[in-house]
Amino acid sequence: MIYLDNSATTRPFDSVIEKTVSCMRDAYFNASAAYKPAVDVDREIRACRKLIAAQLGAKEDEVYFTAGGTESDNLAILGYAETLRRPANFVCSAIEHPAVLDTIRRVEKLGHTVRELPIDSRGRVDLAAAEQMIDENTALVACMQVSNETGAIQPVAQLAALARRKNPDVRVFVDGVQGFMRVPMHMGKMGVDMYALSGHKIHGPKGIGALIVKKGIRLMPQTTGGGQEKNLRSGTYNSAGILALGEAVREMTARQEQIAAMRGLKECLWTRLSALEGVRVNGPLPQEKDSAPHILSLSFDGVRGEVMRNALESAGILVSTGSACASHKQKVSATLKAMGLTAEQADGTIRVSLGLYNMMEEMEETAAQMEKMFALLARYRRR
Amino acid sequence: MREILLVRYGEVFLKGQNRPFFLRKLVDHVKLAVQEVHGHVWLSDGRIYVSDYSDQDEAIRRVSRVFGVHSVSPAVEMEKDNFEAICEQAAKMMSVKNGTFKVLAKRSDKRYPLDSPAIMREASGYILEHVPHLSVDVNKPDHEITIEIRGMAYLSVDRVMGVAGMPMGTNGKACLLLSGGIDSPVAGFMIAKRGVELCCVHYHSFPYTSERAKEKVLELARILSEYCGKMRVYVVPFTEIQMEIHEKCPENFTTLIMRRYMMRIAEILARKDGAQALITGESIGQVASQTMEALGCTDEVVNMPVFRPCVGMDKSEIIERAEAIGTMETSALPYEDCCTVFTPKHPATHPRKELVRRAEEKLDSQTLIDAAVAGTEIVEVG
Repeated sequence: MIYLDNSATTRPFDSVIEKTVSCMRDAYFNASAAYKPAVDVDREIRACRKLIAAQLGAKEDEVYFTAGGTESDNLAILGYAETLRRPANFVCSAIEHPAVLDTIRRVEKLGHTVRELPIDSRGRVDLAAAEQMIDENTALVACMQVSNETGAIQPVAQLAALARRKNPDVRVFVDGVQGFMRVPMHMGKMGVDMYALSGHKIHGPKGIGALIVKKGIRLMPQTTGGGQEKNLRSGTYNSAGILALGEAVREMTARQEQIAAMRGLKECLWTRLSALEGVRVNGPLPQEKDSAPHILSLSFDGVRGEVMRNALESAGILVSTGSACASHKQKVSATLKAMGLTAEQADGTIRVSLGLYNMMEEMEETAAQMEKMFALLARYRRR
Repeated sequence: MREILLVRYGEVFLKGQNRPFFLRKLVDHVKLAVQEVHGHVWLSDGRIYVSDYSDQDEAIRRVSRVFGVHSVSPAVEMEKDNFEAICEQAAKMMSVKNGTFKVLAKRSDKRYPLDSPAIMREASGYILEHVPHLSVDVNKPDHEITIEIRGMAYLSVDRVMGVAGMPMGTNGKACLLLSGGIDSPVAGFMIAKRGVELCCVHYHSFPYTSERAKEKVLELARILSEYCGKMRVYVVPFTEIQMEIHEKCPENFTTLIMRRYMMRIAEILARKDGAQALITGESIGQVASQTMEALGCTDEVVNMPVFRPCVGMDKSEIIERAEAIGTMETSALPYEDCCTVFTPKHPATHPRKELVRRAEEKLDSQTLIDAAVAGTEIVEVG
């Protein structure tokens, strides 16, 4: 099997699995308890905070653990909206993940307005439009770090600077689920106030994530109870998840060159495929600077993405159409539509996403299979 | 005193000399239905009784889904000698109700000291006295409590309607063409309800349809099997045939020719499985391949009856049935069952049989069918 759906989820590192097991078996104590074994766990959790903060140019006490990307997104957006006393406007890119987009639309119920930023044909937020849409009454600007569908790295820093110029009190929230540890992020330098990340996209476990909140920003908790995480996110510490997430971060750090090499794999795959007529990349080309190292969106003329995916599956290659979250909905992807693709072109799209377990031979095999399937399936296109 | 279920049967009553055969089947199916809740089942006085189950709601749900069951009532079985105790129990059962009521009495034990009118009178009086918030209405009561005096006394208030129909397996076996859409499970259900055992055929066009589409069809079969018991699903690889048709036949006939192949293969599998007829979910005029001419074209390739119970139903009626049966939610999942690649832009709506016959002459029919049958995967469901 060749697994190329790492933006849906990744295979956990062995060390992550071991950490989870050892934590459950030996360090199962409630990290909030007063006795020594519990305090030991608490200390390890702190070490994880530090590790994560170091990746983002943040401080350890700015890290809040959650159950994953979706919860972090909800906490950042709704938690911030509830602190506002006056109606304001919320701005986000039109291609945010539903966890952000659907959540931000909920603030309309609180009396705020929502503005969606258009994107250009390369799948990046249109800064000229942002200049028009962001104003002194903008309370929050939300933008993903990397598009889950095209791998386009978004101009987050420019957007943040632009927003601050219009309103010095604006908050900038970045959904970093697809970018964390694969595309650099320094919250301070880039002007990001809140950042959401998820464990299972970096070979960690599912059900764990974090929201990084710059000091001085007040959020209303969305989960109340025992008062953990400085009262922002109650609930017994998911110690196994947190320690395993820490382990994933540690291992990703140790594998820096491998992360860099991922781009090489992506370029290799595209080099092989670009020779074929009727195959296109959606978003920035693999060799361009604003293309994330791990996501490649491909359109095959006249072959539906779903059919191509099924055909590749029969050859043992697992990819997705659009994004996995959307592929059971069977709608035309909003991202691809916003980039100007026709419904038919968008329908002919698959997403290849790489992880650290992928190897060069797999790219060769994948390119060969895609070439073969494309030739076969294109014969039977709709007349 | 104990809680039991009173199960009434429907159309089996109409049977004459072979009624015992139908009843035996029905009792067997009720037994099978309550197996998981360990119910004890017996037949007496034209009723089926179920007792000693572990979960009453589940037992009712299961029994009411057995074909041939008209209705199910949870009842209390008690000694009949102490009439006062019977009245007391009746009052207890009625005390949780509001509005108006009426007592019905049936006395098959004619030696019982009170006759039916007396039972009704006495019990009503007792209930009125002890449950003051109720009143009597003999014409249109909100609730009816039935007191039956047989070997024992039986009291029941509520009634859950069953699916009715005939006991499964009393009317042969038929083969359902199950697509994954809304209509075919309803068609299968309607025929199965008449006591017909089912097997299913599904055409799978990998890679044009996904693993999930197949999974969805198996789930539909599983839901049907809750009513009609275990069944076999034949998953036929159909891509090869579709591609051949697409390549060699005139576009306006492709869907029709595809339907003809589906029928041919279904007939072969049906005969293998001992089925005597085919079932489809077609409804006149719903789509191009379901006009009267088109149905005629698909019919002419098979030599067994083709049942189309949805033939006269509107889509909305079919959806209503699907919701009642419980297949709607699964049918509505968006995985495609037949790829749009193979759907012609302008399908023939009034095809002439000779033209269709000639159009498919280019295909090596026998080889294609043999290969599809040989590649068929059999999945046991239920």
